[in-house]
Amino acid sequence: MAVHEASSQRSEADRLNKGGILDQLKRRPEVGSFIVMMVVIIAIGFASHGNAFNPLGLKNNLSIIAQFGIIATGACLLMIAGDFDLSIGSMIGFAGMSMSMMLKWGLPFGLGTATPVTAFLITLAMTLFLGWLIGTIVVRSKLSSFIVTLAFLFFLRGVTEVCFRIINQSTQISGLPDYKETSWFADLFGGEFFTWFYSAWYALGGNLNRAGNQWVSGFDARLLWWIIVAGVAYLILARTQAGNWIYATGDNRESARANGVPVDKVRISLFMVTALCATIFAACQVFDTNTADAAKGNLKELEAIAIAVVGGTLMTGGFGSVIGVVFGAVTFGLVANAVFFIPAIDGSYYRVFVGVVLLTAVFLNESVRKRITGGL
Amino acid sequence: MAEPIIRTEGLSKKFGPFTALNGIDLEVYKGEIHALLGDNGAGKSTLIKILSGVHQPTSGTIYVEGQPHAFKTPRDASQAGIGTVYQDLAVNPLMSVTRNFFMGRELTKGPAPFGLLRMEEMDQITHDEMVKIGIDISDPRQAVGTMSGGQRQTLAIARAIYFGAKVLILDEPTSALGQKQQLEVLKTMRRVRARGDIAIIFITHNEVHSMLVSDRFTFLALGEVIGKGTHEELHGTDIRHLMAGGVEMADLEQEIAAI
Repeated sequence: MAVHEASSQRSEADRLNKGGILDQLKRRPEVGSFIVMMVVIIAIGFASHGNAFNPLGLKNNLSIIAQFGIIATGACLLMIAGDFDLSIGSMIGFAGMSMSMMLKWGLPFGLGTATPVTAFLITLAMTLFLGWLIGTIVVRSKLSSFIVTLAFLFFLRGVTEVCFRIINQSTQISGLPDYKETSWFADLFGGEFFTWFYSAWYALGGNLNRAGNQWVSGFDARLLWWIIVAGVAYLILARTQAGNWIYATGDNRESARANGVPVDKVRISLFMVTALCATIFAACQVFDTNTADAAKGNLKELEAIAIAVVGGTLMTGGFGSVIGVVFGAVTFGLVANAVFFIPAIDGSYYRVFVGVVLLTAVFLNESVRKRITGGL
Repeated sequence: MAEPIIRTEGLSKKFGPFTALNGIDLEVYKGEIHALLGDNGAGKSTLIKILSGVHQPTSGTIYVEGQPHAFKTPRDASQAGIGTVYQDLAVNPLMSVTRNFFMGRELTKGPAPFGLLRMEEMDQITHDEMVKIGIDISDPRQAVGTMSGGQRQTLAIARAIYFGAKVLILDEPTSALGQKQQLEVLKTMRRVRARGDIAIIFITHNEVHSMLVSDRFTFLALGEVIGKGTHEELHGTDIRHLMAGGVEMADLEQEIAAI
């Protein structure tokens, strides 16, 4: 009976092969997106003859990457908790409309002229309320968040257009004063940051324009906001109690509830987080360009979800990481901008790329999920 | 006889015109495994849902250590020391063992809910608590999805005990498992029983399992108690008879043979 003795000494725990570092890495949600990102960085670097990463290229690329990153971070947290927000794009349009209209036509109810601070804060109060409302409807009605936020996608876009036409007679506003010159607050969203980076580059002998002076002076403020949003989101998700609640809510909602996780509050808060991200996105746009347009943010909700998925977030919730989303945002930003650096390609290849990468990512995520749950 | 840790008196539950439970008296003692048996629809689930605070009884009272209690929410019940381990509600497969163990009751430093998780400490406690009831998980950060069904049950049981359960309600803990894992869970139950300070209410279909581990039995059929007794008072044949809701097995055999 030697066989039986041997088998009785093995325990269930021994059956899980922890494997080497490589195997452990394969279970991380961000591996796939990291590889895709590296491939894209190298490919675009070569194809653009390095132009994508020259001083101006870096600035412009990081600007669009940061835009994607800000909203995708919110979408990622929400997806980990098991919900979708399709209203992000319309929320961007709404917030941009709200801020620019207040700046142009004054505060509502005849409260006088708006400053960037008041325009932003009143807009933020409205978008957070909308986020709360969406979350509350989803939680109370027990409907899928997909359908509720789809309704808000149409509703908010419509409201944005109607407000523009009634008050402004046109669906766009341009030629607002350059607030970032006069207001530190507007500068916070529309100004330039990390000027030391380009100064250092200049000091080291690069970053020169044709006249031999310093070429680019700093990064757009949205890079700073992306770093803040992603940093805070990472900390909350990976290191705090709230993060554990977010994972628990998305993994198995009833089990989380039975263990005392305030599931409804988590979900409603996260709808407010996506609204906050959309508002930051809009504020950066308005104060940078001093314009607004009813079509701003169109389709951004789908790009945000796509980036979150490419970053390793599971569509079914419970799994994902902010770092993966950072990689995903870099990938998408570079490809979306590639047409400016590689004139030979058709800009619509961006969407072809998105489609291919998205589908690949979903397959990859599914295999990661099976691997960590032992199903593979 | 000592005071029962949980006693119910005339517990009834009506869902509209349907009487799910009709006057249930139950006594559960510390350091004992109390099997709650009955066929499908006998009212087992309703009874444990009342004991764990999910439903409120239409009439009747629950006494915990002699004090009457009315549970309005599952939280009330768990604060009174009643921990329920549901068959499928136990754990989240994609999260780590530690994160599951402390789900909803994380150890943190800093203001809630944004306090930082004390991960090292939680890993240690999880590991130690699991060892206490017989499973040595090598890595508390592995996903629960990698664990066997029996290990998941053990995790849920260890968690309930660590967070102060004096009474563990196990809802069909063996029904979804393979033979060997069923034995693991039964062993875990005996280890918990050996501590002496915890009562287990063991809901099951399986009379063999109930005879293997239980000290005391209560049989339900059609919402009423149709029999109760200790291990010594009952005999194997009685149990099978009572499990089937009072139908004679011999009659059943004849009925089946007649088809």
